Amino acid sequence: MGMKNHNLEQEEFERMEAYVLGTMPTLEREHYEKRLRADAALRAELEQQQEHIHAVELGGVQRTLRELARVQRATPVTSRRWVSYLKVAAVVTLVLASAIWWLSRPTTGEQLFAEHFRPDPGLPVAMDASEDPAFDDAMVDYKMQAFAAAREKWSSQLKDRPGSDTLRYYTAMAALGAGDIPGAVPLLEKASADTASPFADKAAWYLFLAYTHAGDTAHARTVPFDPASPFAARAATIQHALR
Amino acid sequence: MLIFSIIAWSKALPRTLTVAREDVHIGTNEAPWVIGLRRNDPEVLGTLYNAHYPTVRTYVLRNSGTEDDARDVFQEAILVLWLKVKDGQLIPEADPGGFLYRVAKNKWLDVVRSAAHKHMKVIHDDRLQDPLDGSEEAIEERLVRLRGVYEKLDDKCRNVLDQFYFERKDLATIAAAMGVTEESVRTIKYRCMMKLRAFRNAIRGEEKEWG
Repeated sequence: MGMKNHNLEQEEFERMEAYVLGTMPTLEREHYEKRLRADAALRAELEQQQEHIHAVELGGVQRTLRELARVQRATPVTSRRWVSYLKVAAVVTLVLASAIWWLSRPTTGEQLFAEHFRPDPGLPVAMDASEDPAFDDAMVDYKMQAFAAAREKWSSQLKDRPGSDTLRYYTAMAALGAGDIPGAVPLLEKASADTASPFADKAAWYLFLAYTHAGDTAHARTVPFDPASPFAARAATIQHALR
Repeated sequence: MLIFSIIAWSKALPRTLTVAREDVHIGTNEAPWVIGLRRNDPEVLGTLYNAHYPTVRTYVLRNSGTEDDARDVFQEAILVLWLKVKDGQLIPEADPGGFLYRVAKNKWLDVVRSAAHKHMKVIHDDRLQDPLDGSEEAIEERLVRLRGVYEKLDDKCRNVLDQFYFERKDLATIAAAMGVTEESVRTIKYRCMMKLRAFRNAIRGEEKEWG
């Protein structure tokens, strides 16, 4: 070992220390390991010094753990529990919100309806004496977007004049404007079937949109379009999107 | 009492210990927590504590323990893990959470089964499926012995040795903080370690007399 058993020189001790801590240069370490292999006493001394170093380190680790426990103890359990509860509540809220959004999201048909539906602009209203002041009065409501009032007035007039294609068409338009899409369907079916009427093409288009809104693709396909009508191409585009 | 102290100290003497150099793992694919523990990194200790203590706490509280009981067994488990890393006994892929839970749980079951806690009811006891491999028990014995060594140091020695070996500060930094020269720190460190060595040699002498 190159030293008396009772005396470990500082230089020799520091070699052991450097070896244990891994700070000894490579070449020196290789020489040192040769010595270790040949000298059992040196090996025993080295192991003992490492054990002493570990004892010192253990004291530091225990102190660190005591400090961590003190910090952890200073954090009230209730607040930690509340943090957990809040996390759970946040997750539940997120799941519920997602479910509500999922269930209430517009259907493809509703999205296509919203994309393509434009209310009929209505007919011009004469400023002077009118041939049909009651119709014009309702048309003013319609243009003012008072759809419910217009619908009520035109529905009443339609009962008196059931053959009027104009009244039938605009009553349907007022129903659509008021958001009663299913209520407009019977009127639009009749209006689109009246091929002699100038409103037939437009009625067919709105009927197609009403079926699309309801997701009723089977009926939507049966809506009769004049191939020359600009609405025929638009309806074909929507049907393609639905497929 | 002195005799018991001497016997306890003598057990601190190495039997089959082999030296695990700290640089032998450099360049290997060791997990960061293993590297951190080997270097006594307080940040790694804190991360392990915060990540894995809640599981152990839940287990102890569900099995008649208190918050303090949970802290005690968890701290002991971390020390076992730390010493295993120091000895190079853990494979790099080892899961520290699983290991800490297993050691802490077994330690708590020991407490629960002790005479003072016979009235406790154990809800989860799957030790038969989760046995210690024996090395943990040997490590725990070593921890007891190492604590005995540390207790022999006076405050001045603890201060210097702790900064050098645990905190890994260099001599210049320690010297500057203490307002002394580097050479003084180096000498203090050497003398303190030699005190431990002298005590060990004295015990060896006692052992021969008693043996």
